[in-house]
This record gives sequence, C-alpha cells and structure tokens, in this order.
Amino acid sequence: MSIFKSWRNPFKWNFFRSDDRLLLILIAVIVGSCSGLAAVALNRSILILFDWLHPFRHYWWAFILPAIGAALSSIFLEKIVNEGAGHGVPEVVYSVSSYGGLLRFRSSFSRIISSCLTIGSGGSAGPEAPVVMSGAAIGANIASFFSLNDRQRIIIVGCGAAGAISSIFNAPISGLVFSIEVILGEWKASNIVPIAIASVAGTEISRFLQGNSIAFAHHNFDITFFDIGASFGLAIFTAVVTIFLTRSLKTVRGISEKIQIPLWVRAAAGGCAVGIIGMFLPVVLGEGYHFIGSMINENFTQGLLVVAIALFAKIFATSLTLGSGGSGGIFAPCLVIGSLAGLTYYRALAIIYPSLSWVNEGCYALLGMAGLISGMLQAPLTGIFLIVEITGGYNVILPLLIVSSVSTTLCHYIEPASFYLKALVAKGQLLRPGTDARVLSDLSVPELLERDCLTVNQNMRLGEFIHIIKKSRRNIFPVEDEKTGRFLGLIHLDSIRSYIFNSDMYNAVFLWQIMDTDVDKVYPDDDLSEILNIMDRKHLFSIPVVANNKFIGIISKATLLDQYRKELMVQTLD
Amino acid sequence: MNHQLFHIFRNTPVGRETLLQSIYFCNQVGIAPVIYIPKHAKFLMYFKNEVVQIDLDNSYLTAPDTAIQHASELLEQGGFKPRFYTPKHYTASTLPDINTEFDYMCCPRSISDATSKITLGNIGAKVRKIVKAAFFPVLLTSPVFKEWHSITVFFGGSANAVNALRLGLQISDISGMPLNILTRLEKKNTRRDYEKMVQDQNMEDRLNRHLNKWLFFDKGKFEENLYDVPHDSFVVLGAYGHGLIRNILFGSKMESIHSTIYNNLLIVGPNYVANRLSL
Amino acid sequence: MTMELTIHEVANRLNLPWNTIERWVRQGRIPMQKSGNIYIMREAVMKKWAEAHNLSFFLSKKEIDQEKNLQPENLLPAMQRGSVLYGINGQTVEKVLKDAIDKIPDLLIKNKKELLATLIERESLASTGIGNGVAIPHPRTPLSEMHKNSAIITCFFEKPVDFGSIDNKPVFIMFILLSISVKTHLHLLSRLSFCVRNKLFIEFLKTSPAHDLFYAKIADYEKEIDQIGDF
Repeated sequence: MSIFKSWRNPFKWNFFRSDDRLLLILIAVIVGSCSGLAAVALNRSILILFDWLHPFRHYWWAFILPAIGAALSSIFLEKIVNEGAGHGVPEVVYSVSSYGGLLRFRSSFSRIISSCLTIGSGGSAGPEAPVVMSGAAIGANIASFFSLNDRQRIIIVGCGAAGAISSIFNAPISGLVFSIEVILGEWKASNIVPIAIASVAGTEISRFLQGNSIAFAHHNFDITFFDIGASFGLAIFTAVVTIFLTRSLKTVRGISEKIQIPLWVRAAAGGCAVGIIGMFLPVVLGEGYHFIGSMINENFTQGLLVVAIALFAKIFATSLTLGSGGSGGIFAPCLVIGSLAGLTYYRALAIIYPSLSWVNEGCYALLGMAGLISGMLQAPLTGIFLIVEITGGYNVILPLLIVSSVSTTLCHYIEPASFYLKALVAKGQLLRPGTDARVLSDLSVPELLERDCLTVNQNMRLGEFIHIIKKSRRNIFPVEDEKTGRFLGLIHLDSIRSYIFNSDMYNAVFLWQIMDTDVDKVYPDDDLSEILNIMDRKHLFSIPVVANNKFIGIISKATLLDQYRKELMVQTLD
Repeated sequence: MNHQLFHIFRNTPVGRETLLQSIYFCNQVGIAPVIYIPKHAKFLMYFKNEVVQIDLDNSYLTAPDTAIQHASELLEQGGFKPRFYTPKHYTASTLPDINTEFDYMCCPRSISDATSKITLGNIGAKVRKIVKAAFFPVLLTSPVFKEWHSITVFFGGSANAVNALRLGLQISDISGMPLNILTRLEKKNTRRDYEKMVQDQNMEDRLNRHLNKWLFFDKGKFEENLYDVPHDSFVVLGAYGHGLIRNILFGSKMESIHSTIYNNLLIVGPNYVANRLSL
Repeated sequence: MTMELTIHEVANRLNLPWNTIERWVRQGRIPMQKSGNIYIMREAVMKKWAEAHNLSFFLSKKEIDQEKNLQPENLLPAMQRGSVLYGINGQTVEKVLKDAIDKIPDLLIKNKKELLATLIERESLASTGIGNGVAIPHPRTPLSEMHKNSAIITCFFEKPVDFGSIDNKPVFIMFILLSISVKTHLHLLSRLSFCVRNKLFIEFLKTSPAHDLFYAKIADYEKEIDQIGDF
C-alpha cells in the first residue's frame, strides 16, 4: 500500500528532495512523448478523413461536407464533452496565469476530436492550437497526478505545448520557443531545460512514426541586395494582411454571435459557406499544407489575380470556419495566407519592376508566412524559428528577420495584443510572472489584513474613547453596533484632533456624533487591484475590510508595501 | 465571524427545499449563505491540485427572472441579507470560475442529474470529486427540508474521521445540540482504542461536555446499524483519503450511508483544513 | 536533532501571514515537504532559503517572544529596588539631592558623583517639581551603570524645600527616577504621575508612612491603573 502511495508523490523520495530539476526532466520526457503522440494522431486522422472524403468532392453537394463536419464538431464540444468552442490557447495561457496551469482532463482529447472533424471535412482551420491545448492538458494532468506544485506544473504544461508543436511541425526549436514566448512568457533556465527535453521527445516521436521529413523542403535561394530591400515592403504588406485577417475574424464572430440559432446550426451554416468557396477555390479547404508546398516549389501557376482572390478567399473562409464555431486554430491558415500574400507580393513586384532579377516566388511565399505568423502571434522568435525549421533552410535568415520584426512591430502598433492573448489582455487576465498585475493578483485580502484595530461602539462617550486611543497603536477606530456587531463607520484620529484635547466635551459627545459613516469599505474576496484603485482615487492610506456587515480588519498601504516587496522578491528570485 | 456557505440555487421547488435546508444550517452554525444563481450550465472550481468542472442540468437555469426574487425571499425569511455570488473570472466565455474560498458548500445530492434521480441515492461523480478536492466540508441536504435536533458523527478512527469529529464538536458547540457518535468496531479495535484516539487528539474535555451517547456496533450489516441514527439528526462523516484502491472503497462506504439514510449529511473530505479561512 | 517547522512556525519566523506561506507552498516558491498531512521544513533549509531571497527572519521562538513581550516593568519592583529614605536634609535643591544620594545604598549606585552631576544638570534646565509638593528628579539620559533594571528612590524630606515647582509649593517628597531606557522612563513617569495626581495619596505621603505601608499603597494604585487599562 505504501508503495502505491509514494510513487504518486516522488518528492518524498530522498533522491528528488534536494533538487526537482531531474524529476522535471523525467516528467518532461513522458509529457513530450504523449503530446507528440497526440499531435501525430491528429495529423494522421485529419489526413485520413480528408483523403476518405476526397472522392466526394466532385459532386455538386460537396459543399455540405464542411457543414456536416463543423456541426458534428460543435455538437461534440457542446453536448458530449461540455466544453466551449474556440481553439483553447487562451484557456491554457489563462490557466497558467491564474491557476498554476490546472487544466481539465477532458481538454486533453476533446479538441483533437472536434478539430479533426472540422478540418478533415474541409473547414479552414489549423490543427496546431487544438494540439497545443491537448498537449498542455496532458501535461497538467500528469503534473497533478505526480502532485507537483504550481511552479513545476506550469513548466510541465509548457512541456506539453512544446512537445505538440515540435511534433506536428517536426521542429523542436519552434516548439521550445513557442512554449516559452507564448505560453509561459518567462525565459529562465529552469523553464528552458525541461521544455527543450520535451521538444526533443515530441520531435522524436513524430520522426519515429512519420519519418524525418522537412515539411516544405526547397532548393537554395540566392538572396540579392534587392530582395533585402523588397522584404521591407513585404513586411508592410503582410502586416496589412494580418490586420485584415484579425478584423475579419472579429467581425464574423461578432455577426455570428448575434444570430440566435443553436450552435451546431450556426457552425453548419459557416461550414456550408466555406464549402461553397471551396468548390471554386480548393486552396481554402482544410489546413492547406499541400498548397504551401506547391507554392514554395513554384508549382502554383495561377496568375496574380487568382492568387490575390485566393488570398482573400482564404481569409474569409478561415473567418467563417472559426467565427461560426468550428474547432481549430489559426496557425495553419496563417501559413497558407502568408504564402499566398508572399506570392501576391512577388507577382505584383515582378509586374512593376520586370527588369530586376528577384530571387523567386517560393522564397517570397516563405517570407510571407513568417510575416503573418509573427504578426498574428506577435511572437517574432516563434515566426523566425518555425520558418527556418519547416523549410530546412538557413539561407533566408536575413530577409526573414526583417520581415518578422517589421511585421510584428507594425501589427503591435495597430493591434496591441496578439491573437491568442487579446481576450485575456482585454479582461486584464494576462498575468506574466514578475509583473505588478501578477503580484497583486497573488496577494489576497486575508494575507494583508491587519487586525490590531480596537473597535468602539457608537454609544461610547468621547471621554471613554480617549482611553481607547491610549491603548491603540493605530489611528483609525472602527465603530460597531453594541448589540449586532454591525460595522457602522470609522473614526479617524486626524478628523477629531481639533477637539480631542477639549476635556469639556468628553462627556457631552458620543461617538455616533463624530464617526464618519460614509466610508469606503472592501470585502475579503475583492481583488487587490480594485482595492488599490479605490484607495488611490480617494487618497486613502488604509481601508476597512468588512464581511457579513462586520468589521474584520484594515488594509494599509504600509503593510501592503512590505508584503508586496517580499512577494516580488520571492517571485523573481528563483 | 466571516464564515460562508456557498449555495447553488435552483429555481424549482426542489431547489427551494435545498435552500431552506442551507439557511437552517447557516442559522444553526452561525454562518452566512452566499447564493450563486447560475447563468451557464457549467462552471469550474479550481482546487489546489485539481480543477473540477461541474455540469449542472438545465433545471438550474429555470426562470432566471424570478430566481433572484425567490432566493431573496427565502433568505430574508431566514434572517439573512441576501448575498449573491457573481463570478469574476471566466475560463471561457460560457465557463465561469467559482471561487473556492468558502467554508462550506451545499451540494444537492446529485448535482448533474435530473431531480428524479435524487431518490436513487447516487452521489454524483461530481459531488464526489468536489468532496475529494475541497478544503471545505460539503453539505448534502435531505430531499425535503427538515429540522434537526442532534448531531451524529460517524467515527471510524481515520484522520478524516477525526476531522469530522472535531467539526461535529464545533457545530454542537455553536448550535448547542447534543452530539452522538457512531462507531463500527473494525479490525479488532475495541471501544477503548477509539476512546484513546479521541484522547490523543485532546478532544476529551470538549467531548465530555457535548457527548450524548457513543454507540458501538460490532454486529449486523452496516446498513442495519444505520437505523440507530435518529431521523432528525445531522450526520457528519469523513470521507476516506485518496489512493487509487481506496477511492473505490471510499465511494462505496459513503454511498451506502448516503443511500440508506436521508438525513442531512456533512462530508469532510481528505483535503479538509479546519478553520482554514477563519477570520 | 534538527528542528522541523510547520507552516505556522515558518510564517511566524518570517513575520508573514500563514496564508501567504500556504500559497507559496502551493505555488512552489518555498521548499516545504509534505509529511503526513502537514507541510514541514527544516530550520536550516528555511534559513538558507530566507537568506537567498533577502527576507528577514527570526531564528527561534524565543526571539519572537522577546520582541513581543518587551513590556517595561511597573512601579512597585522599581521602588522596592530603589529603597525608601527618610529625613533627607537640606535647604536647597542641590543640598537635598546630595544628601539623598549619599544615603542611597552603595550597592545600587556606585558612581554617586556622576549621578549628582547629571541630576543637577537636569534641574538647571527646568525644575522637576511637578506640583503638589512632589519632585521627580531624573538624569536626562539613562545612567551608564543602569542597564539591567530601573530603580526609583523615594525620599521623604525633613522639612519642605523650595524646588521651584510649577505651583510654587515647597516640595516634601521626591522620587529619584533612574530608568534603563527612555521608554521605561516614560512608562514609569506616567504611572507615578497618575498616583501623585490623587489628593488622597498626597495626604498619605505627608504622613511619611513606613515603607511596607507605602509599598502596599503603591500596589493598590498600580492595580487600579491596570484596571483602567490606561498607560
């Protein structure tokens, strides 16, 4: 029995007592492999479903295929596993921010199944975000199983995300960078090591099962000086496309949420629309990796106009799929849109300056992907490493850096928060480690409560009150009702200073005459940031805390500073 | 005192009985109820090492326009100022997070099933999960509001049972109701052994003040013994600790108590921390 | 044996609320281990951890208690330590002070010259005659040889002396107040002035009571002070 008990709590083993790093690395291997496996499973099943449905695509009614897929995925999410729609990355970041990375067990498979239905049937969405969610949830549940603490669990959640991204793209560094840049937001050696290990494990699983192939291999590009110059233009163009995509997603979501129909009908309607677009432009269907490959290898022969139309069609199809309640991420559509954008730019450039020898359109497709990913995620490193790894080429690094950084900067200018984090930032729930918001959200009212205030009752005379003042170490005195203990008001020493030395008033004045009844008060479950806002607005140095109409203590800025400092020291020094 | 009981209000006649029971409990124990009127059929509770999603059935969303009024009426009759809980954070737009910083939580016998199923006597998987993860004891109300006049603690000697006994004492202390203890002699433990356990926990004095009778059973089926629990008694019991094998046992024992007696139950889970939030 | 600390003990030593420590344990910021149902931490580990994080801490329970229980002592023990002197002679302030100091037992004060000089220095600033025929001479700063316990020397005069008191009444009794710190000085002074504000007490003092009677009276007054909860 005792063996059963202790193996779930490895920290009891003497071996791990001194240092948890080795244990985290071991768990990282398990988690990385599991999430890698999940990624492979999703990738495979999407391919199988897509191929299985391929013969039906010639029929006139093929447009309802995405509709059926989207409806099924919506029903599955809403009714069977009882989870909301959406791709799940914000949920992971939220949980990492606020709850030490706790995630539900059902999240570890729900999104895989639903996104498989959506994408496999032709919906325009990506499998990456669902797989990140699943990987993270696998990590969280394994961490909980081993009774890890919050800090360790967050690292393991990061491991899950990293393993998933590494496995699906066969790109270990991207997995590592994505996990730290987007999910954790904290570059520390103690984070990087286990996550790197998980990336390796995820990649190995993928290579073992699917072979070591670089997703979009290409031949060498000869980058000229002009190309470097042109990449600035491309960066601006991709930034514009990114903003357009963001706005389009938001608009479609807003419209679809206003329509009062069952969720699965809504999803089906969106799927239908995507299916109709897909009948004319098959490039919009599914995750679209096949088309990226052909664009990079210059096999995408249609002219400028068709490419430009395809670009907008894909943006529109993605917005429809995700906005109407389909399940999937934005990652893969971004890559497709990015390569279409790069291609459009190249074709336009070739028409305007036909005399110059541009490198080739494949290179621009590739740069476009980097621009879009960087702009959308506002994570430039993820964009750069991803493109370098999935194309297997280091020789485009210079324009890549330019496009990535310029696109990120421009997008940040217009959309201050990335696509994944926008909702969290808007609600003030993005709490990165070591920030003010994080410290304030960690500290709670009961931790700051000072209870050494002496309470008085409203029928006390000033003379008796003087004795109380002598005993107290504080300059505020809460007034309570004698019988019920209700909090009635406060007496602040400053406000009665003028007549406190007048002994003639000692017997004539009752406390209910001098107490301040219009007091700002807060409750034990209030957020500290709100409390500080009140205190700042009213220029208060302390504020009473009241629960069930009874005074329980005060919060003062002096104690807050003390605690805040200690909290910050403990949080930042690891 | 700032103790709070978290109650999820269901705007149906059954929900009324549950709320009445909660209010009665609060009055006896001297705490304040906090009412949550769900706007979504599911919510999350983040515990220390686990997150529990609670899926309510649609009866919880019945007639939201009258819910506040109905709940307020009942609370005011019970002498409380109505306080409603509004979730501050959302994990997803339709998925609110419920604070877990409460001192008690009231669960209907089965949280996710139709009211008809209550009589089947299953403790829902969710309720069991809450009991397992929570710092606070969980109040399972009887199907119909019923006043209680004594407190019965099931004391089996485990750490949770000790917690349950301590809690029972505390409630008996505040409410002034007599305390009974029910022990089933197990594993060759004698009466003396159990009394020694209480001594070791320094509870003897308090126990002597409140104890009405201590029943020991060594014969008959457990379910049969349960007949000796007075029908108007409030039952406090500890749930067994974790561990994979025990989980199964823990379910069955609690379930058998639960399906045999319809008294109000207060279940102390393995993560219960006494007076954690006492202010 | 190594000391193992619980959450509450760690919280005490770091001077933090225990729920902060509990949260830190959950978040994995402080290395406490679960042992049975409670979390523990070895004292040495805590010390190392607190130092690494620049947090101040107390090493033992005693230190915390000392911090908290630093209540200055009351009148009676100080008076008993200081002794009661009768029939102090002299016409001027300096003379009575000198006579009184000469009569103080040598065990209590060794450097009597220093004491006299500081008392006279203090008197030259402003009279310590607080009215009602009472004076409370004291040095401006605690004496160099007084560091363990405070003492009050009660001196009954042969005949009243003009001390230059605020109410111009001649002084018939003085309390030489020798305290170990400014805080104790204020504490004793406020208690003493509470007593001498009482007319009955002054009348009682004018009878030059024997010391055991005097101590009993002081004890009564101190009880009263404690009851009011003043000072």
